[in-house]
Amino acid sequence: MNRHGLTVRGLTVTGRTGTVIVDRLDLRIAPGEVLALVGPSGAGKTTVLRAVLGALPSGLRQASGRIEWHGAPVRAPRRWRRRTVGFLGQDPASALHPLLDARAAVREALPRSGRDGGEEERALAEVGLDPAGLGRRRPHQLSGGQAQRVALARALAADPELLVLDEFTSALDPAALVLVLERVRRRRGDGRSVTLIVSHDMAVVSELADHVVRLGPGEGSHVAPRPPVLPPAGKRRPGGAPVLEAHGLTIAQPPGGAPLLSDVDLTISAGEGVAVLGPSGSGKSTLLRVLAGLHPAGQGQAAAAGRPLPWPVTERGPAALRALALVGQNPLDVLNPARTVGAALARPLRTLRGLPRRTARAEVLRLLATVGLPEDLAHRYPAALSGGQRQRVALARALAGGPAVLLADEITAALDDRTAAQVLDLIDALRHRTGLAVLAATHDPAVAARADRVLRIEAGRLHPHPRSHDDDRRPSLDVL
Amino acid sequence: MKRVNGSAGPVPPVRAEQDVVTERRPRAVLVLGAVSGTVLVLALGGEAVAGHDAVAIVAPPWSRPAPGLPLGADALGRDVLARVLAGGRDLTLTSLAAALTASALGVAGGLWVGWSRGRLGRAAAGAADLLLALPLLLLALLAVVALPGPAAVVAGTVLGGTPLTLRVVADATAAARHAGYVEAALSRGERGGAVLLREVLPAHAGLVGADLGQRLVLAVQLAAALNVLGFGPAPPAPDWAAMLRENLQGLGLNAAATIAPAAALAILAGSVAALSHSLATRDGLS
Amino acid sequence: MPWPARALARTVLLMAAASVVIFLCTAALPGDAADVLGGGRAAPGELARLRAEQGLDRPLHARYLDWVTGVLTGDPGVSLITGRPIGELVAQRAGVTITLAVAALAVSVPVTAALAWAAARGPRWLRHPANAAVVAGAALPQAVVAAALVAWLSAAWGLFPPVSMLPAGEPAWSRPDLLVLPVLTLALPIAAYGAALLRGAIADVVARPYVRDAELRGLPPATIALRYVLPMIAAPATRLFAVTLGGLVAGTAVAETLFGLAGLGELLVTAISTRDVPVVQSVALLAAAVVVAGLAAADAPRRRRETARP
Repeated sequence: MNRHGLTVRGLTVTGRTGTVIVDRLDLRIAPGEVLALVGPSGAGKTTVLRAVLGALPSGLRQASGRIEWHGAPVRAPRRWRRRTVGFLGQDPASALHPLLDARAAVREALPRSGRDGGEEERALAEVGLDPAGLGRRRPHQLSGGQAQRVALARALAADPELLVLDEFTSALDPAALVLVLERVRRRRGDGRSVTLIVSHDMAVVSELADHVVRLGPGEGSHVAPRPPVLPPAGKRRPGGAPVLEAHGLTIAQPPGGAPLLSDVDLTISAGEGVAVLGPSGSGKSTLLRVLAGLHPAGQGQAAAAGRPLPWPVTERGPAALRALALVGQNPLDVLNPARTVGAALARPLRTLRGLPRRTARAEVLRLLATVGLPEDLAHRYPAALSGGQRQRVALARALAGGPAVLLADEITAALDDRTAAQVLDLIDALRHRTGLAVLAATHDPAVAARADRVLRIEAGRLHPHPRSHDDDRRPSLDVL
Repeated sequence: MKRVNGSAGPVPPVRAEQDVVTERRPRAVLVLGAVSGTVLVLALGGEAVAGHDAVAIVAPPWSRPAPGLPLGADALGRDVLARVLAGGRDLTLTSLAAALTASALGVAGGLWVGWSRGRLGRAAAGAADLLLALPLLLLALLAVVALPGPAAVVAGTVLGGTPLTLRVVADATAAARHAGYVEAALSRGERGGAVLLREVLPAHAGLVGADLGQRLVLAVQLAAALNVLGFGPAPPAPDWAAMLRENLQGLGLNAAATIAPAAALAILAGSVAALSHSLATRDGLS
Repeated sequence: MPWPARALARTVLLMAAASVVIFLCTAALPGDAADVLGGGRAAPGELARLRAEQGLDRPLHARYLDWVTGVLTGDPGVSLITGRPIGELVAQRAGVTITLAVAALAVSVPVTAALAWAAARGPRWLRHPANAAVVAGAALPQAVVAAALVAWLSAAWGLFPPVSMLPAGEPAWSRPDLLVLPVLTLALPIAAYGAALLRGAIADVVARPYVRDAELRGLPPATIALRYVLPMIAAPATRLFAVTLGGLVAGTAVAETLFGLAGLGELLVTAISTRDVPVVQSVALLAAAVVVAGLAAADAPRRRRETARP
């Protein structure tokens, strides 16, 4: 038998309406090689994986092309996957059956003949789990990191000839990620193993992969947004008067419960960009939600643009309401599915700025231009927008009231690097041109790197975070 | 590191939105909506186009279809076509009233329960569970002891259907509380009631519509059951469900007398159910 | 509270609530038993005498307590129309209804499972027709199903008698040919309705990431069905079973009346049309008891699994 590894010839995948999602893709991975698929979100990376595995989701169809394994077309994809493929998905912990314990989960991946020799214990031990202690535990009795390792052990247990890893860098905790990287490195050059990875983390990709295949549009294609039309410079300058002040804020989650954050003092000046870092659950988002009035503060006061910010939000005066605007992280529900983009933008123009209907319509077009979106988007419903476009509309909606401070809650978390960079560029431009101040809750170093000041939440307190100007810029951003 | 660009030459054109766009199927919804609408209009206004009087005896019992009597005659020799055209109005009106009442109460209660998330809300959900323990038809049959048939249909649909609507709407509302568009509206100072009516309710219009369809189907089933059991309009008046019972024995003589009202009921309930189903699938609910 | 005690408390509470609803619906509303006894034309003095005789002039709660005490001690009273003890009436007719209900369950459970599976996970060519069958079947009024069955199986094919004149005193199961149509009339709509709910539960489980992941790992479909899907739908399925039971109990009224079977459903319908309130109350309470018992039984496995978790 020829050992050619994996060959994909002229793969074309179409959607229900005949739209081409993957067009005549060729791939070849020889034994001992690692190939990485990269590209912006929605470029079809996962679709390619599913097509290669012969398991396209319903609605997608392989219009043409061939998948060959060692020179022969794959005839029974399910059996081939079972025998040959190890698969680790985007969210490994959620891929575990809730009623199966760790050993049973790993045992599933082993061929029938290898199920008595303590193989599952070995596989668990290899990913740093103690089979005696954890082997009998079900997923809900494991920590998130342990559950990820069980899924990893399952993917690697049979030492699969073809290993497929889908966006594993974003979900795995650092220690598990190191294990995966090490394992992939060992597979490389062994003359047998074929490895296919999908990632948007260019640092990982450049280190691991023999080949990189980029999917999706190249430079200057139709997805690139038109350049934002920014308001004229010079109205407000960075480093001006304070636009947001908070003193002695104490925040409990849930309201009235144990304090999550105590004695928060915060001053932000016009045009300033401030990032708040901290582990998840530390209260970054809650701090922003408190300022936006969505969550009550236990103690303390805050003021924006010189106006006091009482709680609940309905007590706030019109000027205070205009001064702050919150943008959330989930592009899926950031916009009302029943409202067109135009209607979503017109509403704050009318409630916050009191514009009449006709003026508001014209202003909607100007807002769309500000965030670099075409005017005809005003008539579309959110379902017809990409994730990046939705976040831009959400940004436009936040800008509608003419805020002094933008509260940005992980706004790039659900976007791929390229789209995220475009959104961040836009916010930077607004900051420099119009004096908009930004308070961003984030765990993304790329966001923090753009801030003038970084604060960190540790043990329920907000501390300034020392940083030099050039240390933590992520290489991935520059590569992309 | 080598950089290979798909090795097929030019970069493949790719629809970037593919993963985000949920394919909507407005056409199925429109078609089924039109069908259901037509059926409802026919059921309500059919009497106007009937050629004969629906209660007049025009032919020997069980006459087979003949010119001027397209569906033949029923057990007493009355024109089946005229009776089918006239026999849907009361049943449809009753069902519509019942479904709209149950749905309106359930939506209002669900918005409130889902938004307030308080102890009262949990109590309401518990009470709703309690009502679910009693079969719908049994409730309607109990109601018919004291109330006239149509009122019993409304009572049964409300008692049995409102808790279901309430539950569905409450879950959707509780989930929408933390949606970006709701928080954006709240943080620009809009009041809870306005947010519920302007944001939450429109966003769940498909859900509410699908649910209303289900209540309507339920009400039609209930009305048909009560009328078949003889708790509907008094005998000479035409009614689809009562016709089924009157003419079942004559199936061998004039099948149309049974099949026509059965088909009318089936089309009414079926088209509404299909519309409801397509609304639910469009919004990814089922 | 441990779950057996809690389940018992819940069952008692549900039964108490059901009895109150039933009593209020039938006894507290205008038009009482005295009207029935007086034939609707009795003089006011006569009505008052009848009320006093029946104890209807006593306060509502006292009458409710009387009724409940009677039911609990095995004496639910007598029929207003025939004067016969209700216990005797029920015992006489229970056989037909139980036979009908058990047969309908035996038909509907496998049909429900097959339809739901075909609609949610069946081969692609089957999914669409199965879904259409589920939606249509769950929407059709029971009487329409009965008419279609009679038209098709009895009138067109001559397989079964259209109306079952069961000879008096003969047990229902002695003439299975008479039962086929009523059983199908009961079972098919309920199977479709159950399948609509079960399909949702299956689709919900199938969409979970660990099932999709299992498919990508190439596990055989049978393994996925038995190990991944079945245990997760056990709880909704048992609950569904209880709901189905309720529909079945109430549905016997239509099936028995249409096909001329003298069962409890027919007794209830007759009692309602003659306003024989004590009979209505007792039969309705019996139906509610069956449903509540079904709900309690459906809860048991769920509770057991939850308590097994730490």
